[in-house]
Amino acid sequence: MTPKEREILIKRIWKVVTYVVLITFALVYLMPFIRSLVASFMTWAQASHYPPQWIPHPFTLENYQKLFRLELFPRWIRNTALYAGLIIAGNIVFSSMAGYAFARLEFPGRDAIFSALLSLLMIPMFVTLVPNYIIIYKLGLIDNIFGLALLGLVNVSSIFLMKQYFVSLSDEIFEAARLDGCGPVKAFFHIALPLARPALGAVAVYQFLGSWNAFIGPLIFLRSPENFTLPVGLSFAFQRSMWTEYTPIIAGSLVASAPTIILFLVLNKYLIRGIVITGGKG
Amino acid sequence: MFSFSSFYEKSRNKDILAGLFLISFAVVLNLVFGYFAMVFAFYLSFFKWDYIGKMQFVGLHNYMIVIRDLSRGLHGYPYILAPFYTGLKNILIYTALVVPIQTFLAVVLAAFANQKIKGQQFFKVSYFLPATTSSVIVGLIFIWLFMKTGFINYVLVHVIPGFKPIDWINSPHYLLLAIALVAIWGTSGHFMVSFLAAMQAIPKDMYEAAMLDGAGPIRRFFFITIPMLKPMITYVVVMGLIGALQMFDLAWIMAGSSGGPGGAGYTVALDIYNEAFTRIRPGVAAAKSWFLFAIIFTTTYIFQKKYGRAIR
Repeated sequence: MTPKEREILIKRIWKVVTYVVLITFALVYLMPFIRSLVASFMTWAQASHYPPQWIPHPFTLENYQKLFRLELFPRWIRNTALYAGLIIAGNIVFSSMAGYAFARLEFPGRDAIFSALLSLLMIPMFVTLVPNYIIIYKLGLIDNIFGLALLGLVNVSSIFLMKQYFVSLSDEIFEAARLDGCGPVKAFFHIALPLARPALGAVAVYQFLGSWNAFIGPLIFLRSPENFTLPVGLSFAFQRSMWTEYTPIIAGSLVASAPTIILFLVLNKYLIRGIVITGGKG
Repeated sequence: MFSFSSFYEKSRNKDILAGLFLISFAVVLNLVFGYFAMVFAFYLSFFKWDYIGKMQFVGLHNYMIVIRDLSRGLHGYPYILAPFYTGLKNILIYTALVVPIQTFLAVVLAAFANQKIKGQQFFKVSYFLPATTSSVIVGLIFIWLFMKTGFINYVLVHVIPGFKPIDWINSPHYLLLAIALVAIWGTSGHFMVSFLAAMQAIPKDMYEAAMLDGAGPIRRFFFITIPMLKPMITYVVVMGLIGALQMFDLAWIMAGSSGGPGGAGYTVALDIYNEAFTRIRPGVAAAKSWFLFAIIFTTTYIFQKKYGRAIR
């Protein structure tokens, strides 16, 4: 074997190793989703069978029907959507306002206030959890989605993201507007906001993922089952063993995660790029 | 140029007013739920209270409860008598498992994916998918997969010769390991995507120069990729530490709020929750949360001191 041939052989082996590793791990990451999807159409007797089976027989929609027969399940979906909607709206409105001010306007104490906000990111949520519970309790907003949403209405990370975006815009357009007599607030609505659509989209998506999946907040601030969000509702449905079989829980998990999974699959190119950018800097 | 300077002056004042107005909502909310809450948590940690009656000043008593708990734990008391110690011990083992493994896995997978290969986007999407799913749902699905006659045991029996099926969730010896495996599964793909982006930003000519010197892919990985990724590795480890030390959701789902068999899945975060909302001792919960803060702060500080600051 000549050295040239050897090199080609090594390259080929390396390529095979690469694909084997990548495909194996793709299977590891995807398998729980695939298994649950298959099992959600099975009876519990079949889904718990050992060795595992792959083809639902009999094919049944009973698990999904059971969920929606449960009065509370559609309510949990509505509550989660309401909570996510409030959080997204609040973050879009207030973080774009604050981000624009921190990036584009000069006022006393600007940088100090901004770093004071940023340093809040270092505080573990468990430190502020009990005091915030007491604050919301005193406001009479316990067991109320609006009270819960109040806590997450302006996230520091959204402000940071919006500020970075407004800083990255060119100065010229804002200067031109200023010389034409356009005030700062008018410039915000007519120049900054229309230009900020990609950043606003990113804030909306991250806040959607965060609020749709949130657990500790809803667990503590919501008390009665009819006010639960999906993660809290599902966790209690399981813990109180309302089921003698597990397949409806699997079906419920799939329904609850469908919006975030579909959103991710549709937007994956933008999301992965965006998460890399914010993950790297924020 | 009098008119110009007065125009400028006016627009400056406008800027100040508009700026303060635009940040006001964000600042007020974060002042209340961030800074005021922090001060309140500190204040609360010196009081005995039940949310309703009068607050009673107890000095350092709440902190003493935590220290007594730790010393009892060191003397081998069962977990019911030393819940904070149990949670702390578990969370340190958990963190020592999760953070190194998920970082290592993420770097290695990113290095494999950072070549001329088909389907790179497919791999990124499938590795990232767990990170978009709620940890509650992930936990619920994995309880089923970890059952004694479940899918994971089935796979392990066929992959590892002589493996005997384990009752992961109900065993005090394997519960924490099961939770750690789920956490690694859930976050490593996310970090892999971050590493991949950082790798793609490394200048190509560095690799070409190394190739001309005859360095193979493994040498290139250790002598170029890893040193160039150092800030990103620090970032991922620091983020991993912060997340792992506060772990709550998975433990709540997979072990239950009291920590499962023998408290094997009990964590500090669960203990803070139980102090505040089950045992109704918000003062003790506040004291415990400051311990947690100190632990997170010192570990991330020491790590960054030793290995350089994270990108942030």
